[in-house]
Amino acid sequence: MNDIVMAASVILILVGMTAAIFNRDPFDKLISLSVLIAGVFPFIIDRGFLDIAIATALIAPLSTIFTLMVCRRVQE
Amino acid sequence: MIALYVCAAIAVYAALRVIAERNTMRKLPFVNVISFAVTAIIALLLPHPITIIAAAAYFVGSTLESNAIASTWAGGIKKP
Amino acid sequence: MLDEPARILVTAALCWINFVAIDVFFKLPESGGVCGATAIAQEVENGGGDLHGGYMLGNIVSSPDASAGTLLASCGVYCAGLPGGLFAALLVYIGNRICYDPGYAGTTGAITASFLVWGMTQLGFYASDFIAGMVIAILTIQGISHARSSRLIARLWEIRGRLLGGP
Repeated sequence: MNDIVMAASVILILVGMTAAIFNRDPFDKLISLSVLIAGVFPFIIDRGFLDIAIATALIAPLSTIFTLMVCRRVQE
Repeated sequence: MIALYVCAAIAVYAALRVIAERNTMRKLPFVNVISFAVTAIIALLLPHPITIIAAAAYFVGSTLESNAIASTWAGGIKKP
Repeated sequence: MLDEPARILVTAALCWINFVAIDVFFKLPESGGVCGATAIAQEVENGGGDLHGGYMLGNIVSSPDASAGTLLASCGVYCAGLPGGLFAALLVYIGNRICYDPGYAGTTGAITASFLVWGMTQLGFYASDFIAGMVIAILTIQGISHARSSRLIARLWEIRGRLLGGP
């Protein structure tokens, strides 16, 4: 993978990580986690792990949806 | 490949706009731009027929996640 | 024929026309398809935009529409030729049903984009130009200024209302 795409993915991971740590609102934290996982994907694809990529692409949003469902139940 | 550099630059720009935006709901269109850009990077890095499935799975998953965040923020489906 | 940056700008314009025309035709700016789209529309209006443009931005975020169809069709044609593009249209259709969206904007956008990209590759363009062009097109609608792009979409929605009769 060439350097520019690698640098861009690393920036996405770092930006997502710092935003997730320093944001207060939980919805903002979830959005920052989404940015973080977006930065991880090019690394998975670059090695050729297409099946791992498909599995991660299905698991990560499902875990966000379950987190939201748990939060709604705790709020009620 | 200029196409790859364009998508990488747009992803970084959208990530910076996400953290600069204060309003939670207005962050979501920028997150959508990031998922468009990363879907494009996935397809451009590895031109193989199975990559279509990986790119589509990532994009639909990201859309479903943004939709879930938006509807939970809005209070869920209003029972009539 | 053309240089790569010029080709990417041309494909960006073509992708913009494809997805905006199909989305406005399928009445995306009319109302929020799911409640998440309505929430985004309200916040865009509070930020100085137009409500109908906000509905379209919200619908683009919440469900695969013609923009997603155009992007995935270009990726499909890049990876596997015209059959790849049509297979991507099938995946967009499945994605629409998973997101509880009963519409056909995504599938239509994907099919028209597959034929458009495949046709242009016969004329000297590359499918990778269309992928970059589509990302630039979505950046102009969703990534620069929500207020201004929602007002532009509201104007296109008015033009559609005048051309094709009431919603």
